[in-house]
Amino acid sequence: MNVRIPILKLRDTLIVSIQWELDDQTAIQFQEDLLTKLHETSARGVVIDLTSIDFIDSFIAKVLGDVISMSSLMGARVVITGIQPAVAITLIELGIRLEDVMTALDLENGLDKLQLELEA
Amino acid sequence: MNKQMARYIQENMTEIISNWQEMMKNEKSERSFEVMPAELMDQTSREFAELMTSNLLESHQAYESRLNDFAEKVVRYGWSITFVTKAINHFGEIVFNGMERDGIITNENLRGFTEEFNKWITPIRDSTIDTYSKTWERTVSLQKIALQELSASLIPVFDKVSVMPLVGTIDTERARLIMENLLEGVVKHRAEVILLDITGVPVVDTMVAHHIIQAADAVRLVGAKCMLVGIRPEIAQTIVTLGINLNEFTTTSTLQRGVEQALAWTNRKIVEVDEE
Amino acid sequence: MSNQSSVEIQTEWDIVAARQLGRNVAKELGFGTVDQARITTAISELARNIYLYAGQGKIEIQRLTENGINGILIIAADNGPGIPDVRKVMEDGFSTSGGLGAGLPGVKRLMDDFKIETTLGEGTDIRATKWLR
Repeated sequence: MNVRIPILKLRDTLIVSIQWELDDQTAIQFQEDLLTKLHETSARGVVIDLTSIDFIDSFIAKVLGDVISMSSLMGARVVITGIQPAVAITLIELGIRLEDVMTALDLENGLDKLQLELEA
Repeated sequence: MNKQMARYIQENMTEIISNWQEMMKNEKSERSFEVMPAELMDQTSREFAELMTSNLLESHQAYESRLNDFAEKVVRYGWSITFVTKAINHFGEIVFNGMERDGIITNENLRGFTEEFNKWITPIRDSTIDTYSKTWERTVSLQKIALQELSASLIPVFDKVSVMPLVGTIDTERARLIMENLLEGVVKHRAEVILLDITGVPVVDTMVAHHIIQAADAVRLVGAKCMLVGIRPEIAQTIVTLGINLNEFTTTSTLQRGVEQALAWTNRKIVEVDEE
Repeated sequence: MSNQSSVEIQTEWDIVAARQLGRNVAKELGFGTVDQARITTAISELARNIYLYAGQGKIEIQRLTENGINGILIIAADNGPGIPDVRKVMEDGFSTSGGLGAGLPGVKRLMDDFKIETTLGEGTDIRATKWLR
C-alpha cells in the first residue's frame, strides 16, 4: 500500500490537501514529492490544508516542521490551514508549538495570507 | 427506658421546644435562627423534635427519610454544622435535665439512663453530620457544574473579531474547558482575532499565565491571533514580578483599545460619521 | 469489568492499526473529539516508541469502569532493552531519536493517569488511562 498525496499548482503556489490519516511512509514520501515539485516549478508559496486530519503525533509534526524549514531554504513560504481544535489542543499538550509557522483558518484564508506575504 | 424517654418527650414537647429555642437563641455565633420568622422557626423546631424522637419510636427506614429531609432543609437555611451539633446536644440536655427534675431519672438508674442517652444521641449526631456532608457535597458539585456552564463563551463582536471574557479563578480543569470552547468558537465564528479579556480574573500567577500562553498558542495553530486585554495595574505588577514572559503577546489595558487594535489587524477602523 | 483488545507492534503499519483501534474504542465509549485526538495521539506515541526502541511489542486497549466512571486504559508493553534513566526521559525536550522530544512527558500530559515500569534488559510496561468525564 503506497498512496501519494496529490500536489496541485495554482499560478506560483502549490496546494496540498491532506485527506486521510498520514502513516509514516506517506508522510516521508510527501516530503520528497513536495520538495521535488518546488524545484521543478519554482513556486514561491505552499498551502498545506489539514482540515480532514483529526490527529497529529510528534512524528507527523516533525515531518511537517521539516517540510516548512526545507521549503523556506528553497525560497518558498508555507501556510498550514484548517488545523482542527482537537488537533491544536493535543499538539500544545504534547509540547509541540510549531513556532514561526504561518497558519490560517481555511484554504481560502491561507491563500489570501500567502498573497499578502509574497507581495510584501 | 427508651419508651420512658419517648413518652417523656411527647408529653412535654411544647415545654422542651420552647426551652430548646431559648438555648439556641443564646448561641451568639449563629444569626440564622434569630432572623427566621417565628412561624417557620416553630415548624422547624417541631420537625427537629420529631426527628429526635423518631429514632426512639419509628422504624429505621422512617427515621432515615426524616433525617434526609431535615438535613437538606438545614443546608438550605444555611445552618452551620456546629450549630446543628449544638442543637442536638442541647435537645438531649433539656430532656435529661427535665427527666431528672421529674424524678424519672434517679441516682439508682443514672448509669443506665446515661448509657441510653448516649445510644440515642450519638447515632443521631453521626448520621446528621453524614447526611449534612453528603447534601453539602452535592450542593458543591451542582454549583461547580453551574460555574462551568457560566464560564467561557466566545462572543463575536465584529466580523472576524471575537471576545472571550474570563471570569473567576482559573484552575487546570477550567483552563481545559476554556481552551476547548475558545478553539471551537474560533472555527465556528471564523474569527481571525480573539480578545481574551482577563478583567474578571482576580489573580494571574505562573500557572494561570501558562494556561493563557497555551491557549494563545493553540489559537495560533488553528489560524487566528490572540490578544490579551483587561490587564489591571496590579496584574501587570504581578506578571513582571513573577518574571512571566508575555512578550510574544499583544496586550492592552482595556477591551476598547483591544478592539481598535483588532480592527487595525484586519485592515479596518471605526470612523465617526458627520450628520447632515 | 474490562474488555480488551490488542495490536502486536512489529512494523510501521502496526502503529496505524493500534491508533485506529484506540480511536474506535474511544469513540464507542463516548469520548469527545478532543479526547479522541488525545487518546489516538498518545497511542501513536507509545506505539512508535516500541517500534523505534524495542523493535517489537504490544499495544493493548482496555475499557475500564471504576466507581461508575468509564475510562480507557492503554498498555504499551515490550521486551526491549528497557529505559536506563526514567527520570531523564520524563523531562521535557529529551529525545534519543532526533524527534521533537515530546515523547513520554507529552503522553503523560495527554492522559489522566500515567505509570511506567521498566527493567534494563527485560523490557518496559507503560499504562496510561483517560477517564470519561
